[in-house]
Amino acid sequence: MSSKATIYGFLFVGLAVTLALIVAPAVYAVSLSFYQMDSFVGAPKWVGFANYVAVLQAPEFWRALLNGAIYALGSIVFQVILGIGFALVLNEAFPGRNLVRGLSILPYLLPTVVVILTFKWMVDGGIGIVTKAVEAMGLPPINWFESPGAAMASTILVSVWMWTPFVTTCFLAALQTVPQSLYEAARVDGTTAVQRFFHITLPMLKPILTVVVLLRAIWMFNKFDVIWLLTRGGPVGATENLAILSYRHAFNLFDIGGGAAIATISFALLSVAVLIYFWVFPLEDD
Amino acid sequence: MGRAKTLPRRLGLYIAALVISVYSAFPIYWMVVSSLREPTELLTNVSLIPNVLSLESYRNLLELTDYPRHFMNSVIVAVVAVLVTMVFSVMIAYAVTRQRIRGKKVIVGAMLYAYMFPPLLIAIPIFTIFARLGLSDTLTGLIASHLTLTLPLGVWFLWGFFKSMPFELEEAAMVDGCTRLGAFLRVVLPLALPGLITVAIFSFLLSWTDYTFALVMIGSDANKTLPVGLASMVGSFDLRWGEIMAGSTLIALPLFAAFALMSQYFIQGLGAGAVKG
Repeated sequence: MSSKATIYGFLFVGLAVTLALIVAPAVYAVSLSFYQMDSFVGAPKWVGFANYVAVLQAPEFWRALLNGAIYALGSIVFQVILGIGFALVLNEAFPGRNLVRGLSILPYLLPTVVVILTFKWMVDGGIGIVTKAVEAMGLPPINWFESPGAAMASTILVSVWMWTPFVTTCFLAALQTVPQSLYEAARVDGTTAVQRFFHITLPMLKPILTVVVLLRAIWMFNKFDVIWLLTRGGPVGATENLAILSYRHAFNLFDIGGGAAIATISFALLSVAVLIYFWVFPLEDD
Repeated sequence: MGRAKTLPRRLGLYIAALVISVYSAFPIYWMVVSSLREPTELLTNVSLIPNVLSLESYRNLLELTDYPRHFMNSVIVAVVAVLVTMVFSVMIAYAVTRQRIRGKKVIVGAMLYAYMFPPLLIAIPIFTIFARLGLSDTLTGLIASHLTLTLPLGVWFLWGFFKSMPFELEEAAMVDGCTRLGAFLRVVLPLALPGLITVAIFSFLLSWTDYTFALVMIGSDANKTLPVGLASMVGSFDLRWGEIMAGSTLIALPLFAAFALMSQYFIQGLGAGAVKG
């Protein structure tokens, strides 16, 4: 077998698998959004843009879009602030640093289900440790999920806990590339630590900050499992984002075309973010 | 930056490190401790250290629920997903780095793009296709959906890995009479092992922790994987927190063990943005 045949053989097999598993489903999802289907095995009926019209006219779509934006923005802001703070601390030398670095990554390794169940157990109304601690401090009990604002705050809190380690790890790697000579020079000039942070550290972290914020924005905007497990999108839709709305349409209401239309709209919105990503970070060849 | 640090500054640093540790690890500690308490003590005692350790919650979990079966399902799905991902991602990544192929940027870009897809964009069509094939509620369907996460990750990561590997290695082997395939198998693969291990770890992590696809693809109790099985226990079990925390600990355990043994691969992968989520 010639050298070229091997390479093209690899490529052919690999691309065939990708086409079947990723490209075909995505194309199929977009095409489903133009059909009406009341069951997954029933015959689809062409309806053109009717699903889109129905989806865009429903107030719950706009509410879900807004909720998704609030959730994504809220969780990204706190992840980035905490992540930078943690990275600055973990970049200093102190005994046991490697242990603390290891511990700080652990939340990122946990399955979402485990995090949500543990959180629910800790804030359990009768016997959760957080509930007991709040009680012991003489504070009124916290209703974590009952009001719309509290439910949104809870989903953001849990998400920040889970994904801060990603930000910490990225910034920690970036901090290690900042030349020490910059700090030495600034120190000679009599700057304060705060000035050095804003004039040296932050500008040096800007490229990685852009990557992190873009990637986190894309993933947080599409988040399904955290919200579904924590609140099911409730109370009365207060934490429902586009992913939850799409799931409910397809799998609870059996409006498969509508669910596909919502997924396609999120896909289009996300594509804007991905285009920005590729524009800021063009793929380097070889 | 650490020379002649003042005492208050050092103290501040220690306090910050302690806060980070407690913040990150306390919920995990609490999960493990709760799983090891006497079920009766669990409801009355919130001491940070339990008086007696008990395995009763684990015994109940393993004897009275479908947990062992869900564990096996999770193992099967994750292992197959990891193996398939390694084989195909190494083929694609190698082909696009070693040959001038028109549109290879498109291939790599599409992979990165696919890695950012909304989950429902994939879940709805895959479920529909498998339902029409009469394969709904099967582990095969779940594995296929997991590959939509792990394959782009594998190609993306190995692409970066092969780019940094000099061509001369295989060329030398091929001058010595190896075929391209022989050079690939005997020279490239062994050198790519660290990259392959990273891909295997993160594919396993993605498949093992997945809740969304398993919720969509699996309907029957017998075919559930751990995350969905455990979540459905909350509703049906009358909130027996001891058993639920025992189940959570057992899901997390393989991941922590892998992290402890192979932390350098984890850090490397995290740095490359390897985990979606």
